[in-house]
Amino acid sequence: MAFRIPSLLLLFALASSLHAAVDFAHEVVPILEKNCVECHGGDKSKGGLSINSRALLLDADVLEIGKPEDSLFIEVLTAEDPEDRMPPPKKKKEALNSAEIAVLEKWIAEGLVWEEGFTFAVDRYEPPLKPRVVKLPAGAPGTNPIDLIVAAHLKSKETKAPQPVDDRTFLRRVTLDLTGLPPAPEALSELPSEGKLDRAAAVDKLLANNQAYAEHWMTFWNDLLRNEYIGTGYIEGGRQQVTTWLYRSLLENKPFDAFIREIIAPGPDSGGFIKGIKWRGVVNASQTTEIQFSQNVSQVFLGINMKCASCHDSFTDRWTLKEAYGLAQIYSEAPLELVRCDKPTGEKAEASWIFPELGNVDPTKPRDERLKQLAELVTHPENGRTQRTIVNRLWNQMMGRGIVHPVDAMNTEPWNEDILDHLANYLVVSKYDLKAVMRLIATSRTYQSRTEVRDEDEGTYVFKGPVRKRMTAEQFIDSIRQVIGVWPAPDQNAFGKGLTGGQLTAVMEAHGLKEWDKRPVRAVFAKRDELQAALGRPNREQVVSARPDIVTTLEAINLANGPELAALLKAGAANLQGKAAPRELIENTYLAALSRKPTDSEVRIAMEILGETPTPEATEDFLWSIFMLPEFIYIN
Amino acid sequence: MTQENWYDEAHPELTRRRFLSALGATTAATFLGGAPRALADEKRIKQPTATADSCILIWMAGGMAAPETFDPKRYKPYEVGTPVDQIISTFPAIDTAVDNIKICQGLENIAGVMDRATLIRSHFQPDLGSILHSRHQYHWHTGYVPPQTVAAPHIGAWMAKVLGGRNDVMPAFINIGQQLEGHGESEELKAFTTGGFFGSEYGPMNLPFPDLASQAVKPPGGMSPDRFSKRYKALENLLKNSPKSGELSDYHQESMLRSIDNAHRLLGSKEREAFDLTLEKKEIFDEYNTGRFGQGCLLARRLVENGARFVEVTTEYIPFVHWDTHENGHSTVERMKKEIDRPIARLIKDLEERGLLDRTLVVIATEFSRDMMIEGVPGSIAQDQSRAATDVIKEMKHYGLHRHFTGGSSVVMFGGGMKKGFLYGATADERPCLVRENPVSIEDLHATIFTAMGISPKTEYSIEGRPFYATKDGIGKAVRDVFA
Repeated sequence: MAFRIPSLLLLFALASSLHAAVDFAHEVVPILEKNCVECHGGDKSKGGLSINSRALLLDADVLEIGKPEDSLFIEVLTAEDPEDRMPPPKKKKEALNSAEIAVLEKWIAEGLVWEEGFTFAVDRYEPPLKPRVVKLPAGAPGTNPIDLIVAAHLKSKETKAPQPVDDRTFLRRVTLDLTGLPPAPEALSELPSEGKLDRAAAVDKLLANNQAYAEHWMTFWNDLLRNEYIGTGYIEGGRQQVTTWLYRSLLENKPFDAFIREIIAPGPDSGGFIKGIKWRGVVNASQTTEIQFSQNVSQVFLGINMKCASCHDSFTDRWTLKEAYGLAQIYSEAPLELVRCDKPTGEKAEASWIFPELGNVDPTKPRDERLKQLAELVTHPENGRTQRTIVNRLWNQMMGRGIVHPVDAMNTEPWNEDILDHLANYLVVSKYDLKAVMRLIATSRTYQSRTEVRDEDEGTYVFKGPVRKRMTAEQFIDSIRQVIGVWPAPDQNAFGKGLTGGQLTAVMEAHGLKEWDKRPVRAVFAKRDELQAALGRPNREQVVSARPDIVTTLEAINLANGPELAALLKAGAANLQGKAAPRELIENTYLAALSRKPTDSEVRIAMEILGETPTPEATEDFLWSIFMLPEFIYIN
Repeated sequence: MTQENWYDEAHPELTRRRFLSALGATTAATFLGGAPRALADEKRIKQPTATADSCILIWMAGGMAAPETFDPKRYKPYEVGTPVDQIISTFPAIDTAVDNIKICQGLENIAGVMDRATLIRSHFQPDLGSILHSRHQYHWHTGYVPPQTVAAPHIGAWMAKVLGGRNDVMPAFINIGQQLEGHGESEELKAFTTGGFFGSEYGPMNLPFPDLASQAVKPPGGMSPDRFSKRYKALENLLKNSPKSGELSDYHQESMLRSIDNAHRLLGSKEREAFDLTLEKKEIFDEYNTGRFGQGCLLARRLVENGARFVEVTTEYIPFVHWDTHENGHSTVERMKKEIDRPIARLIKDLEERGLLDRTLVVIATEFSRDMMIEGVPGSIAQDQSRAATDVIKEMKHYGLHRHFTGGSSVVMFGGGMKKGFLYGATADERPCLVRENPVSIEDLHATIFTAMGISPKTEYSIEGRPFYATKDGIGKAVRDVFA
């Protein structure tokens, strides 16, 4: 770990001042501290310049060792134009005096002496790597451990627990979270009197619906594994889908450790993730497929942002260029040379893993062997980082906000370590069964609490209940289709076949179907059309771990007059036409879309829209009004 | 088509923010959804005083050859047997309204308004492999070379984010003329035609067909305005009577109500008429109407008149079509000039007549220039790029500039605080026609545009812990000499 000034001073106290050489600690550091560090040190890197370490200062290309007269670093100190001068006059710092400038000139002339290990970087929270046994607070036997921990947490914060939700709200939330759809009206009409629903059994039933589970969670994994069906890279075979493998893995609830192993050390149909996107033409050194491998494995499975470190030692956390390249070299067939900010360094990368305390890969082994070793390290039982990263992602999906947040920055302090570590341990105990973790969450009173009415970004996070989630583009479209009872026909154009598609083939193969049967064709399998794009489905050129949680104006314009939704409503009205009296239509629609009965005044307003004998147009307008209710789009 | 006046007298209630006030929602949060956020220091960045309120980017998609348009060189007429290395330009130079500025034949109308222009002849781009247009277009439109580890915002998204709309109905960023579906590289185009990490609130409203633009702000096909407003009213009623309305102050739900409200405000506003080209006088429409591009220029004018912040109008990028001349360069460029010359000149005059030109920055630009056949670099030789590879001209399809050239291109800027009748920078007279003086990089050109719009090129947002600047690493410097 880097050390800071005090120990440095000790070292230098012994050094003789007889040397004419500039004294880094006593002469240079104070000048830098006073004038530069505020903007170019710690986690600040204005203009792309960080002076945290000697290497970073050299990366920035602002000085030439031995030649202060040719160094921008010196030039800006005396620049006449206030726009160019450092420190900027608006910082209200005085310009450096000639003695200070002379010290810096001498420092550069003498070779930019720096004490090894010294950094201006700030110390940060460093999360534990290994799993940690959690001592559960006392409580009634059989209490969900999450609830025990949350109760103790709330008590320590002197906060009241959020109120539980009723059965209907619970059923809508959990059905949308686990299967992507609102509960079918039958499931709602079968509800026993309030408070009598066996919620655990309801969760089990949903999780047992393997198909619906797979087709909902496919969206999450497509985003994370950058699995899109068309797009950049496919033109010259520079990208590969994992759709068939992914769908089957979700369908059979593949244990997560096996899942990771097959992704990192792939078989014939799971190699698309590590292959990355091969861009045509000249590519920035930090975006070669080897570096993408380093970045994406780190981000997806370890919650580490290796993007900064793949260009230069990170300013914001502890990862270095060497570590980023070490991971890349595991994947690379050819020896890689470290490239710092697009400038080759001459240093060769060595295949290595970033948490050596768990072991390491053998750089002398062939690539496939190295990948297997890496997969073992990522899934090492003592690698709590992998376990915490995935359970935090699942928590985020279900609770609306991570225990560690944002979910890709696992070096951030969790709001409660015990929940995180308990879930991670639970994942291992249940043999990496993701559904088991979801079950534990969904059956907790914590999950079953009222959502928090939230202002945006309240600074320090305090748990006040689940955070409202927005339906994904896929959930929104599928839910509408379920309500109106119209699913699209399998269409090669929209659902892909042949060279770039085959999503439906993937489904048929997994279910052993010769041709498509009556099952719904979910939006997750369709290409990203304008409506889905407007609703926030990403193009998957980058890994995406969270969709937008708000609705934007351009999106609303699309919802108000876009042809896709209009066509959907038209088809819905045609299907519902004449099947039920207006009042019945209103009640059915409220139940199917919002999982509740309409109030009398809602019935009255809806009747006004529909009229005595509803025209198809009136039905379309009624449906639109229901689907535009925040109550529909937000999962409460 | 008749004008529909349904928005104002008949339904005054549609013209104001009703949902939120009706529901008593109180917070006025900005809906950023967490990341990205302005760095704390952003407030301390001194934003320059704007010399323009709106920007129209006229995009010559596919690589417009400077020696065939705004930077005439030694003209060589078509003649079978001419060695290709003797050809630099296939159009003779013509006079313009400015004594020391000549441009190429075929741009006579633009020549007539060059006294309102600053012509930069020394723009250049890094060579990204000279292959994929979409990568160079990504670079030009975002200021960052693709791929990027985060989704880089389009310059229009920067303006939408930093400056917002000019009024409370017109979308801040409108993109005219580019189809994003149905041809090669369409996915690559989508990668930069976006709000990037700012999110879709700041992304473009895409209007690929100017004559259909009015549909984007009208009720869906087949729905009468009356029905459309009733539907909205019904939603409002359902909301007010919902037993769940007490939860609506949640910022997520508020964002939805506000957005639906914004959308309906636009669709019910007077400004939406700007989208309807049939409301333009016929003689004016005809003058613009050289095709989709010409109509796009007219649409851009109408949108800017009604408060758009940033409008891009493109000749449309389709591989090997329009400016992407890999064979038949001369005749294709002749056709392209017919398409652009009249409407661009008319646009400038119209803006001027309406007193808008002084505060509207119009920029004509392209991803790179072109050259005949020379300057092959390893792995990217000229012959690979030309479909009409030859050493001597044998037929018409050989005549024209057919390979990509990143060493020097022209940018024309009108209004928005730029000098008038001003020439900046130069390229060499003989091949290679590299920038000879006053080079202007993408960063510096963007800095110039941003500065004119009142945005410091150092404006920064933090995304994933990384500072991200309006110009790459905040290094762009405005070209001071071009400001009046």
